[in-house]
Amino acid sequence: MSAAKRVQQWATFARTWHIFDCKWQDPYQSANIIKKYLMGLHKPIYHPMNDCGDVVVCINSREIALRGDDWRKRAYFHHTGYPGGASWTLAWELHNKDPTMIIKKAVYRAMKGNLQRRHTMERLFIYPGEEIPEDIKQNVSNQIRQLRLVPQRLDHIPEEEVQQYPKVMEYPPDYVLK
Amino acid sequence: MALLIKSVFSFLKQPIFSSSLRVFSITKQLNLKEFQESRNGNKLIIEAVSVPSTRTDLLVRADKIQDLTPAVIDAEKPVCYLCKLGLDIKHTDVLILSQFVRSDGCMLPRRITGLCSRQQKKVGTMVSMAQKAGLMINLTPSRCKKDPKQRYGYKKFNTYFDEATIFMKKIPDQRDKFKR
Ligand SMILES: [Zn+2]
Repeated sequence: MSAAKRVQQWATFARTWHIFDCKWQDPYQSANIIKKYLMGLHKPIYHPMNDCGDVVVCINSREIALRGDDWRKRAYFHHTGYPGGASWTLAWELHNKDPTMIIKKAVYRAMKGNLQRRHTMERLFIYPGEEIPEDIKQNVSNQIRQLRLVPQRLDHIPEEEVQQYPKVMEYPPDYVLK
Repeated sequence: MALLIKSVFSFLKQPIFSSSLRVFSITKQLNLKEFQESRNGNKLIIEAVSVPSTRTDLLVRADKIQDLTPAVIDAEKPVCYLCKLGLDIKHTDVLILSQFVRSDGCMLPRRITGLCSRQQKKVGTMVSMAQKAGLMINLTPSRCKKDPKQRYGYKKFNTYFDEATIFMKKIPDQRDKFKR
């Protein structure tokens, strides 16, 4: 095998480490993207029987955004196995307890339930904040594009830019400013 | 006797009130007004000062834009300035939405915004969406802590909204797709 081909062989079968910033992202929509990288579906060599999945590191999982009233309407079900052991936890209560759990469950549910799923989940790292361990940080070589734009708060925009921005509404002539 | 006193009072009242009313009713102020408070020793002076509008130079109107593809407009109904511009405003466009609110973040009524009823509802809903998402936290009542992370319960977490739900009669439930 020539030297160039040998490098191509390494590059094809090496595990790539991807990073994904969950800030203001919908976990259920981004789970479908993360799933593809975790299972290796984005690779032309993909086959369910070959182990070609990549590693995904999710950061800022505390900052995920849910749509509309999902925080107080979505419930997570758990059953201990004992009679009367059923419990329903609302999404915001679960996020209070563990800020990584919602994105973990979303990715888990996005994948098909087979024997491989638990092993694929082992390749998903989730961190609530921006800090990640140094040994993981050194492996990361790719970033997954975010699905939604991170909105900018009005008080973070400079005062001058707010005043110089083109105006759409004009006050009526006898309006009393409040 | 009572009748006499009454008539005397009404005689005294009349010139006082009519003269004081006349000041406000005859002339119409052509400028914006602003209440200013100043303190001079023990005296608190509250006065209404006429101020020029800062928005006049920056105003964007569809008539003044040269190469604007006209938005699809129903010829029978009168259209407002926002319909003519044909903007696609999202609830994250706080620089536009903040023009339609008071300093405490409350949406201005239609007689002041001058929008049509559809746009008034759309902008009003998007203002409340932006407020719930904590994007206009500096335009809130003074008792607000000015930090979305310090809100109570589920309100402290990030939320985004879908603008397509504004004119929906009923917002579809995510769980309905499991029903047969
Ligand atoms: Zn209109």
